[in-house]
Amino acid sequence: MHAIPQLIVSTLLLGAIYALIAVGLTLIFGVMRVVNFAHGEFLMLGMYLAFGAWALLNFDPYVTFVLSLPIYLAVGWASYRVVMRPIVHASHNVQVFTTVGLSIALQNVALVLWTADARFLRTDYYAVVVRIFGAAFNVAQIVAFGASVALTAALFAFMRWSYTGKVMRATAQDRQASALMGIDTDRVYAITWAVGIACVGAAGVLLAPIYPVYPTAGLQFVLIAYVAVVLGGLGNMAGAVIAALVIAAVEVFGSYVIGTSWKEVLYLLLFITVLVVRPAGLFGQRGAEMVGM
Amino acid sequence: MRNMKWAVVVGLVVLGLGAGAVQGQQQLSGEYKIGVLEPLTGNLAVQGRLHLEGYEIMRDLINSKFGGVMGKKLVFATGDAVDPTVAASEATRLATREGVKIITGTFSSTLCGAASEAASRQNVIYWETSCVDPRLTRRNLKNVFRTEIDGTGFGWYNIEFIAKHLAHRLGKKPNELKIAYLSEDSSYGQSVTESARQRAKEEFGMQEVGLEYYTFTTNDLTAVILKLKNANPDILHHIARDQDAILFWRQAREQNFQVKAVVHAGATGYGNPGFGKALGNDSNGPFALLEPGPGVIIDKFRPEGQKIERAFREAVKAKTGSDVLAGGHQLAGGGLWVLKLVLDAAKTDELDKFRAAVMSLDLPVGSAVNGWGVKFDETGQNSNARVQHYMLQWQNGQLVTVWPEEFTTNRGKWIPLGPWDQRK
Repeated sequence: MHAIPQLIVSTLLLGAIYALIAVGLTLIFGVMRVVNFAHGEFLMLGMYLAFGAWALLNFDPYVTFVLSLPIYLAVGWASYRVVMRPIVHASHNVQVFTTVGLSIALQNVALVLWTADARFLRTDYYAVVVRIFGAAFNVAQIVAFGASVALTAALFAFMRWSYTGKVMRATAQDRQASALMGIDTDRVYAITWAVGIACVGAAGVLLAPIYPVYPTAGLQFVLIAYVAVVLGGLGNMAGAVIAALVIAAVEVFGSYVIGTSWKEVLYLLLFITVLVVRPAGLFGQRGAEMVGM
Repeated sequence: MRNMKWAVVVGLVVLGLGAGAVQGQQQLSGEYKIGVLEPLTGNLAVQGRLHLEGYEIMRDLINSKFGGVMGKKLVFATGDAVDPTVAASEATRLATREGVKIITGTFSSTLCGAASEAASRQNVIYWETSCVDPRLTRRNLKNVFRTEIDGTGFGWYNIEFIAKHLAHRLGKKPNELKIAYLSEDSSYGQSVTESARQRAKEEFGMQEVGLEYYTFTTNDLTAVILKLKNANPDILHHIARDQDAILFWRQAREQNFQVKAVVHAGATGYGNPGFGKALGNDSNGPFALLEPGPGVIIDKFRPEGQKIERAFREAVKAKTGSDVLAGGHQLAGGGLWVLKLVLDAAKTDELDKFRAAVMSLDLPVGSAVNGWGVKFDETGQNSNARVQHYMLQWQNGQLVTVWPEEFTTNRGKWIPLGPWDQRK
C-alpha cells in the first residue's frame, strides 16, 4: 500500500509526457488524415535543440522551451511547405512512404551531424528531488508535467474557442465542404502540421533534462504515442490524452504488480481488446475506422 | 665530375627514402581484405562505431608495426548491420560482392546469430569479437569462432567477484548474501543473468530475493525500484544495455534505494563511458566486468602481451586523445589481434587450414591484448579461463580497475555503498 502514492505520481508524470507527444500526432491525423511516422524524429530534434542551446549558449532548458515554440512552428511550417504539401492529397501509401522517408532522413542527418553518442543535459538542479506524501520525483519531471498539462490545455482551448481552431475542426469534419465555404484548406493544413510539430518539439525540449539525447531517442516514446492515438480514437485529442494516461498506468502498475517484462504485453493486450470491442478506439466516432478517420 | 657527385647524392637519398618506406610498411606485398560488420546506425550505433574504430586502430597498427597479415596489408570492407535482417543481408553482400573470406563483427547478441548464419551459408569464416550470446558457438557451425567469453562466462566471473571479494568485504559468507537480479531482456542480458543465478545458487548457496527482466528502451523503472526496496537485497546483479543504466541509477537515487553493491558485466550500461558523462560523481559505486581499465599493471602481462598492449594503447591515445580505452576498442582490437595471429600461422583463409590453426593456437593468460590468452575449444569458443576479465568500478566519474587485486593498483571503494550523498 505504501507504494501506491509513488505509483500514482509516476503514472501522472509519465502519462503527461506521452499525452503531449500524442496530441500533436492525433491533431495532424484528425485534420490532415496523415499518420506522421517522423513524429519521433521531431521529438529527437527538440531534445538536441535543448542540449545544443545548453551546451553552446548556456541556456537553461526551460528558456529554450519558451523559445522552441516559435522555432518549431517555423520548422513545422517549412517542413509542410517542402515535404508534406505535395503529398497531402496523395494516397495513404504515398503519405506513409514520405513520412517514413522523412523519419529515416532526419535520423541519419542527426547521426551525421552529432554522431551516435548519447548526450546528457545535466543542469545544476538535475539531482534535486522533491518528496511529498511518500512519493519522490525530480524537478525536471515536475516541470515537464506542468508544461505538458499547460500546453495540452492551451491546445484544447485553441481548438475549441479560437477562430483558427474552429476552421481546423471544420476542415477535419469535411475538407470539401470547408473549401466550398471559402476556407483555405492548404493554409489550415500548414497550421495544423506546424502546431503538431511544435507540440512534439516542445515535448522534446522538456524531455532533454530527463533522458539522454541521441539520434533514435524519439522512437521509445513515439511508439507508445501511436498506441495512445489509436486507443483514444484517431483524431480525438481528449481520447489521446486519456489513453496516454491509461497506458502509463498500465505500464507503472503492471510493472509493480505483475512484472516489468509484462508491461508492453499488458498495454498491447488492452489495446487489442479495445479495438476488438470498439474498432474506432475509446472515444473515436463509430465507423470512423472505415473511412480512415 | 660535379654532376656525378650530385647524382650519387640524389641516388642515395632516393634509396634511403625507399628503404625507409619499405621498413615502415614491413615489406607488405599486396592487400588482404576482410569484412567488418557493425551496427553503424540505429539504436546500437554507439557501440557499433566504437567497435569499428577499435578495428581500424588495430588494423593500422598491424599494418604499420606488425607486418600486416600473412605479409599483406590488411584492408576492410565495411557493412552496416542495423538489425538482424540487415546484418544477414550485409554479411551476404560482403561475401558475394566484396569477395571476403572472413567477416568480423557484430558485437551485439541480437545481430551475431543472423550474421553468422548468413556467413556460414556463403562458406565464409565468421570471427566474432564481442557478442556474448552462448548460442553463437553451440550450433555446430565449423566456420564460427569467438575470441570474447560468452554470457555464461560473464555470469561466472560476476559471481566469482561477489563470492570471493564482495562477501569478504561485507563481512558475510557467500551463502548469507541476499542477491537480486535485474536485467534487460535480450539474449545478452538473459544469458549473463541465468548463468549467474545458477552458479550463485548451486555453488555458493546465495539467497535469491528478486528477479526482473525489462525492455532496455523502457521509459520508467520506478516500479522495479519499489519492488527492489521491498526485497532489500545486499547485492544487485544488474545487466543493463545502454541508457537504461542511467535511467535506473537516477531513479534509484530519487527513490533512495539502498543496496550494498551493484554488479554489471559488459561494455554496455554501467560499462559504457556515457554512464559517467551523464552522472558525473553521482555515478560512483557500481562495478562493471570489463577489459582492463586505468590502474591495470601491464607489467604483470607476459612480454609479448606487454608489447602489443602498450602499442595498442598508444595508438588509441593518438586517435582519440584519451588514455582511457573504451570497451568497444578493446574487444574489437583484441579480437582482431588474435585473428592476425591465426592468419599468420595458417598462411591461408581456406577453412580447414584456418580452423586447424585456430585450434592449435595455445597462448597463456597475459600473451595478447587485454592480457588475454588463447585456447579455443571445438565449438570455436575461446576459453573462459584464458580470456582474463577485470572488475572495474566507477570512482570519481571514471571506471578504474579494482579486481583481481594482483593486476591493479586500485582498490574497490564504498563497500557497502552507503548513503547516496556520501559516495564522494
